Amino acid sequence: MIPVESESTSKEGTKIVYVSKENLFAYMKERKDEGYDILLMVTGIDYKDHLEVVYHLLSTSTGNRLIVKTKTDGEVDSVVPLWAGANWHERETWDLVGIKFKGHPNLKRILLAEGWVGHPLRKDYPLDKKQYVNLKENGEDYVSYDPREGY
Amino acid sequence: MSDSILLTTLDEAMRWGKGKSLWPFTFGLACCAIEMMSAMGSDYDWARFGADVFRDSPRHADLMIVSGTVTKKMAPRIRRLYDQMAFPKYVISMGACASAGGPYVRGYSVVDGVDQVVPVDVYVFGCPPRPEALISALKQLQDGIVSGKVKH
Amino acid sequence: MEDKVIEVNFGPQHPSTHGVLRIKVKLDGEIIMDAYPVIGYLHRNAEKLSEMGAYPKALIYIDRLDYVASLNNELGYVLSAEKLMDAQVPERAQWIRMMLVELNRIASHLVWLGTHGLDMGMLTPYFYCWRERERILRIFDEITGSRLLYNYFAIGGVYSDITPKAIDMIKEFLSDFGSKLEEIQAIFAKNYIYVKRTRDVGKLSLEDALSYGVTGPLLRASGKKWDLRKNQPYLYYDQVNFDIPVRQEGDVYARFQVRIEEMRQSIKIAQQVISKIPEGEFYNKKFSKPMLVRLKGTGDSYVPTESPKGEYGVYLVGDGSTIPYRVRIRSPSFANLSALPIMLKGYKIADLTATVSSLDPVFGEVDR
Repeated sequence: MIPVESESTSKEGTKIVYVSKENLFAYMKERKDEGYDILLMVTGIDYKDHLEVVYHLLSTSTGNRLIVKTKTDGEVDSVVPLWAGANWHERETWDLVGIKFKGHPNLKRILLAEGWVGHPLRKDYPLDKKQYVNLKENGEDYVSYDPREGY
Repeated sequence: MSDSILLTTLDEAMRWGKGKSLWPFTFGLACCAIEMMSAMGSDYDWARFGADVFRDSPRHADLMIVSGTVTKKMAPRIRRLYDQMAFPKYVISMGACASAGGPYVRGYSVVDGVDQVVPVDVYVFGCPPRPEALISALKQLQDGIVSGKVKH
Repeated sequence: MEDKVIEVNFGPQHPSTHGVLRIKVKLDGEIIMDAYPVIGYLHRNAEKLSEMGAYPKALIYIDRLDYVASLNNELGYVLSAEKLMDAQVPERAQWIRMMLVELNRIASHLVWLGTHGLDMGMLTPYFYCWRERERILRIFDEITGSRLLYNYFAIGGVYSDITPKAIDMIKEFLSDFGSKLEEIQAIFAKNYIYVKRTRDVGKLSLEDALSYGVTGPLLRASGKKWDLRKNQPYLYYDQVNFDIPVRQEGDVYARFQVRIEEMRQSIKIAQQVISKIPEGEFYNKKFSKPMLVRLKGTGDSYVPTESPKGEYGVYLVGDGSTIPYRVRIRSPSFANLSALPIMLKGYKIADLTATVSSLDPVFGEVDR
């Protein structure tokens, strides 16, 4: 058994488990073997002084749900080896919240254009500083702050 | 010479022809695309107004209906598609998002108005506009082309 | 001739991408070796913008996620928000929600069916499907005042009561939609070319489906009897009778069959619901309109619902203020689309449009 830091319950009655980020992968592997066969989503939350990664798990054989939370300063282990579907969710979390996933096969931006500066779902993201996207000759995107470079 | 009866009549005939044979471009972006399809569909049937030949390639089309939110990642592609269209070409900006950013105007990756990317001839308001509104915009565009107010 | 792998771009503008999907396809002759979907062309910052306004204001963006089934989207959000605020909802409102959600599921599947027909080279079913869909939209127009994006479900109930005229319209629609559906199904199922092009195409095994987090009709077409309305009932789904259609094949044709059967079950549910709607309030008086912007939420909640595409829910984190701290949308299309490469590998390029459209991706929801 991998030790958990604390436990609580969410408002709709699902069990929440806090795991330290060193134990995260081992804990998730244990849950996967236990029968949690679907990883519903990966959420990154910016709490200003630290970041938090939230995993929603579902077992379609028993119907159990579990929420796993990990506090981090910006890097956690990837769970792609366990659930292939984590690939896109982790890429999105990296793109929008800026949490790195160690061991991810292809950690690139997914929703925003390659080369975007900053992670928009961080609380300190400057919304008034506009970025513009345009195409290079070979069809790839590039991003700049200069409005004349846009479109 | 340019005022001669023959040329003005020919010009008028050309404009009439351009206005009454618009070929729209199958190009859906977001929610408004569904209403655009409704306008094409059984109940509203905008083939009645002579613009039913939806083309899948920009090379064949002469009317681009920007139906939905234009994001920064999509904007250069829209410009490229517009450049690929052959003259004469017209643009209808459908819905609040395409016209001015709509509810997403405060967002970080949304272009506030497709008129920053391509020149727009008719704006349609609504979120999403009803199919009647789109048909009315089409009629306005046709009338404008026939009367010579709208240049390509 | 030597073997050479070429890369072909599909989209972002293409008549059968259902929006703005781009796929980089690696081809060896006609065989797809690898596919790499590129998304984000409709990224509209729904999560960020929801964090910038009061709780009910987020409904604007939630509506526009899966724009062919907005009521299903709203439902996931208001259920989560109500849990967050410990709000009680009157019974009448819950039954109204249930009925409209089922009607919207039919409308959503009809959009899918019509565009699926277009992708497979059939124009006729598109007109048939739109004719039926317009009837549902007229019902929604009568009830909510809007055709496509309704903003009708509120935290604590619904914004307005349903009228007797709307009830009559719904009854009339439900009475003959079944036979119309037979008609539409026959166009597909009796078409030899359609069946040939979809059988054993785009196969997805159950292990892969679970591993990729695929839910909804796709999972049921791959042989898993999993429907949240039955397995983990919300609203009053435990008080109505219906079946879950399941197919074992996991190909495009199986998904078509599952969705057609789901529409039949939705008719069945709506027919039961319409006789069960009780009299009473349609919203909780504590959550009247002036109060809505002052609602406060604490803790976190995620209520899963079965949207037409799969498991949909909104994970809300509240910090005790009137503005949600974090809004995270679990969108089924996003997870379903991530399994696309394994459905394409080894098939021919001509099967690509069939497979993509069988996923029923809606890009408002994929990119958010």
